[in-house]
Amino acid sequence: MRRIATLPAVVAVLAALALAAPAPAPAAAPLPPGLAANIFEVPHLPPTDSNLAVAVGSPMPDFDLPTVTGGRVKLSDYLGKKNLVISFVPAAWTPVCSGQWPGYNIAQDIFEENDAALVGITVDNIPTLYAWTRQMGDLWFPVASDFWPHGSLAQKLGILRSDGVSERALFLVDKKGVIRFIDVHDINARPDLGPLLEAMAKVQAEK
Amino acid sequence: MKALALGILAALILLAAPGSQALAAEASEAPGAKPLAVGTAFPDVPLIGPVSPELAENLGISQNGPTPIAKIKAEVLIVEIFSMYCPFCQRDAPTVNELAALIDKRGLADRVKIIGIGAGNSDTEVDIFRKKFKVPFALFSDATFAVHSAVGQVGTPYYYVLKKTPQGFTIVAAHLGLIHSPADFLKDVTAKAGL
Repeated sequence: MRRIATLPAVVAVLAALALAAPAPAPAAAPLPPGLAANIFEVPHLPPTDSNLAVAVGSPMPDFDLPTVTGGRVKLSDYLGKKNLVISFVPAAWTPVCSGQWPGYNIAQDIFEENDAALVGITVDNIPTLYAWTRQMGDLWFPVASDFWPHGSLAQKLGILRSDGVSERALFLVDKKGVIRFIDVHDINARPDLGPLLEAMAKVQAEK
Repeated sequence: MKALALGILAALILLAAPGSQALAAEASEAPGAKPLAVGTAFPDVPLIGPVSPELAENLGISQNGPTPIAKIKAEVLIVEIFSMYCPFCQRDAPTVNELAALIDKRGLADRVKIIGIGAGNSDTEVDIFRKKFKVPFALFSDATFAVHSAVGQVGTPYYYVLKKTPQGFTIVAAHLGLIHSPADFLKDVTAKAGL
């Protein structure tokens, strides 16, 4: 009887030891709360693996994609109203992406000062994006899925990689629907916000 | 039941132990973090500005750098390793500002100074953080993670407390995660630095 009575205590101590043990090597960049345990460690990938199909000065291809909140996001929502920043990231639940979007929260004021909206897009499906964005915490911008037809917008832009994910890329589209800034970044690293903010300010100064 | 209660108590004690996940839960983690040990020399990492003329003069460094950290005029230096992208650093920023104000209020401003180093952050990103949180002390950029790597690839926010010696700065305390009480933190800093 004595042994049976102490079993829960032993289990509790073992559980505590397991929780108190050093965490396994986490991901490549500082992560937002609660994410570390769910992050998939991506091997180092070729920095880019696609051929850009648009250029600065090109019209932004039209799109109409579902969002994690159950709505849809379309280019026409912004034409004539807002400058639009589109942030493509390769995949949910991966380290750099999980740091990049929450970091944009701190810059929300700057986007607003430049009359710019932000949309985040990946080629993951909606349920995956829903779970991921819930775990990342509140994001102030819509997150949309380019999952089906798979990567159709990424393909139009020329940023769909051979492994089926998109490049890590930023596009700034002005109110006329013209692409004004493109940064197809090394997929393994987070792009510096500086060049994008400069481009937004430049477009906004033309109004 | 008594055994179960003892087990739960033991579990709570273990969870509260330094270095446990309970502590790390208030910090963003970093790959292969190996914090530098208390008692060891802090590497003479370069500080890259820009900082304001007032802060540069106060620290005894140039405005743009790179300046070796050992050049900083301070008896005790609190180094915050942060990231603009780290939600915990964002949450901790007002508390660290309170810490800076408390150092001033206690008449320790000439002896104890604070700087921040933005791991993986460009000058622009550091500037966004500075303006957003009205940070009163000097923040430096570390866009290539070079400093972050040299100081043990720590999670963020991470605080090293350094004491000046003739050879440079030596680590006298370290802290991962949020500072809940600026008063308690400063008390710990002054005690460990022997002020």
